[in-house]
Amino acid sequence: MNTAAPAPASPSAPLPPAPAASGAHAPDPAAVFVRIKLSLLRNGLKGSSKRKAAYFTSLGFALLVGLALTLGLSALRGHAHGGTLVVLLAAVLALGWAFMPLFFPAGDETLDPSRLVMLPLRPRPLVRALLVSSLIGIGPLFTVCVAVGSVVAVAHGAAGIVAAVVAVPLLLLGCVTLARAVATANVRLLTSRKGRDLALLSGLVVAVGAQLANFASQRLMETGGLAQLQPAGAVVRWLPPATAIGMVDSASRGAYGTAAAQLALTLAGLALLVWLWERSLTRVMVTPDGSTVAAQASSERGSAGGGLWALLPGGRTGATMQRTLRYVVRDPKTKAAWVSSLALGLIIPVFNALQGDGSIYLVCFGTGMLGLQMYNQFGQDTSAFWMVAQTISTTRDAYEELRARAYALALITVPYTVLVTAATAAVVPDWQAFPAGLGVALAVMGSMMCTGALASARFPYSIPSDGAFKSVVPGQAGLAWAGMAGGLLASLVLSGPVIGLAIWFEVARMESAFWLLLPLGAAWGTAATWAGVRLAAPRVARQLPEILQAVSKG
Amino acid sequence: MPNQGDATGGAVGAGGAPGAPYGERAAVRVEGLWKRFGEQVAVAGIDLELPAGRFIGLVGPNGAGKTTTLSMVTGLLRPDMGRVLVAGHDVWADPVAVKSRIGVLPEGLRMFERLSGRELLGYMGRLRGMPGDETDKRATQLLDVLDLAGSQHKLVVDYSTGMRKKIGLAAALLHNPEVLFLDEPFEGVDPVSAQTIRGVLERYTASGATVVFSSHVMELVESLCDWVAVMAGGRIRAAGPLAHVRGEAPTLQAAFLELVGAGGRTAGDALDWLGGQAAR
Repeated sequence: MNTAAPAPASPSAPLPPAPAASGAHAPDPAAVFVRIKLSLLRNGLKGSSKRKAAYFTSLGFALLVGLALTLGLSALRGHAHGGTLVVLLAAVLALGWAFMPLFFPAGDETLDPSRLVMLPLRPRPLVRALLVSSLIGIGPLFTVCVAVGSVVAVAHGAAGIVAAVVAVPLLLLGCVTLARAVATANVRLLTSRKGRDLALLSGLVVAVGAQLANFASQRLMETGGLAQLQPAGAVVRWLPPATAIGMVDSASRGAYGTAAAQLALTLAGLALLVWLWERSLTRVMVTPDGSTVAAQASSERGSAGGGLWALLPGGRTGATMQRTLRYVVRDPKTKAAWVSSLALGLIIPVFNALQGDGSIYLVCFGTGMLGLQMYNQFGQDTSAFWMVAQTISTTRDAYEELRARAYALALITVPYTVLVTAATAAVVPDWQAFPAGLGVALAVMGSMMCTGALASARFPYSIPSDGAFKSVVPGQAGLAWAGMAGGLLASLVLSGPVIGLAIWFEVARMESAFWLLLPLGAAWGTAATWAGVRLAAPRVARQLPEILQAVSKG
Repeated sequence: MPNQGDATGGAVGAGGAPGAPYGERAAVRVEGLWKRFGEQVAVAGIDLELPAGRFIGLVGPNGAGKTTTLSMVTGLLRPDMGRVLVAGHDVWADPVAVKSRIGVLPEGLRMFERLSGRELLGYMGRLRGMPGDETDKRATQLLDVLDLAGSQHKLVVDYSTGMRKKIGLAAALLHNPEVLFLDEPFEGVDPVSAQTIRGVLERYTASGATVVFSSHVMELVESLCDWVAVMAGGRIRAAGPLAHVRGEAPTLQAAFLELVGAGGRTAGDALDWLGGQAAR
């Protein structure tokens, strides 16, 4: 007895404390994750007053918009289409949650499973902890505002109120789980170069989406416009997590069977999402990173389009044009800028024309946006500009370099402008104004290229390679805006004579003279471009090291 | 602070009149080069003459001013003061003569990474005014020799560090320059790629061309270079043939530590708790 007692105690003494201690007062992983999230938030704000201001501004903004939405939605109470509208809104909200992490992957550090791999946690507690910590933030707050407003709009009677109380957390959980499940399933994509490239295109989605939403809302504001949403609403109220709001609507109308089915569907959807999330999280954490494998997949390049490239001139002109055009397709930031310019340049004149208040001169909007691509040419090269700088030794070299870039731009912009002008003229319809519209657009484009070349030489600035909405590095914003605003104003003045002539012809109803504007505008634009490139070249050749320094800060 | 008194080990004697005793043609001559960034003086008056046809190492600790010096010598950074001659031509007054004679591989600057390796070479060759066929022929050979033929159609953005250095080297060699400036060409490069780069550079210097490269890996410099310049604190501490700079010291590493005044600095007893046998 007295020999046996100490024997098992001494060898086991060093071993048990670890599991015993963690078992006795191991903190709940959920609490730990909430604390991590709050610490990350606090540390992120520490020190930088600018970031603090940005955070609190966006928090205030989200709260303001959220509350406005709550009130606005509450005002829908009793509206004939209120139910349809809030159900659709819930669906849009869920859609936003699903795609937000793909476009803004840097938003939440706890989102990256590779950071969690080393933690001694089983998937289930991990998922629970992550879910709880994801409920903290501006996004969930905003979602709660919208959810509350939505249920207030449709809840009637005791059953409706009970359903409403259940629906708000269910909608929030549904949205958050959806976002997490989608992000985890795509985490390989998010951490690879392709994923980061994709994220840079988000600016494009926002820009084009905002325009489309603008036109859609105009259409809905017309009398009877809301009735068009009815069929969509009928489908969406059976899609989780919008079923949560559908349930409140059904319960309020006394359709308890439908409400119960919708509740069951909401819960089933939530369970399915959690299960999918847990599964992909486990898979991601126990299989090797595929980021190196993905790089191998790049296909055979160079041979494609080889025939067409041969049509470009030789030497620096052809090489630079080819490089510029390749970058339009391959560089995500350049591509985003080009595609959004091309899309908006088409949407604005053509949609306005479709709605009956179009004008051929709206074509100039797209042309102007495309002309902006000529600005900060060397900043678009980033610090790779040294390769160009190494080969420029004379003003002639600089002239050829800038001219080739202008050629590459014109190769896309000129045919595009002709097409958009023709499309607008066909929709308005006003073929008589076609030459006038095209002429003015070409003059505007030429003036933009002229000022763009000059601004590229005089006001070069760095473009950060990350972040879709960051187009200037800190400290150079003033320079960028000075160059751009001054350039725009100067372009307007430069193309003034052609614009003035067009206005005069319009006011004086001299439709027969419209055709004159086409050759005049084309010649004007060409001359302006040539002059701009010519004037910018000596400065570029002289200031190569200074330009390189200015564009290497990204 | 580096002690200049200690540094005078016969090595600076060679640095005082660099290149002169050997009666060689100078590939690069630097006179009174200065560069200041705000308060900080990055390069504080450099005079240097680098002999042609040599494998030259520019060594120094981090922040010694190596990159700043190489940037000014290659025309990528404008000096506050001083003159740089490459093959007898002033870098700032006569860029036409200089830029066609030098090849550069800078450190910390990007390349046109959304081009494939082959496209990048084709682009650079044409920018330098070489005929298309000749560019493509040389590109094929360079890609082969540098072991990049298998990845020639991959975008440079997907290349590893070693592959980036190699494609940068290919772009710098494409126009057959007289002098090649490489900033940290072996930094982060795996041993296989390093050996490939080494082979190409040795063949290149054997034909009479000059290579100037910066590094802080002394063993590498000792095994590659026949001429070295030691930089610290924006100044040249010593310059000359490897044997002269090394002087009495057993290795270049030892000579270097002495020159920059960092010799004899060890952890001592400060970390006595560190190690397997110590009490936890």
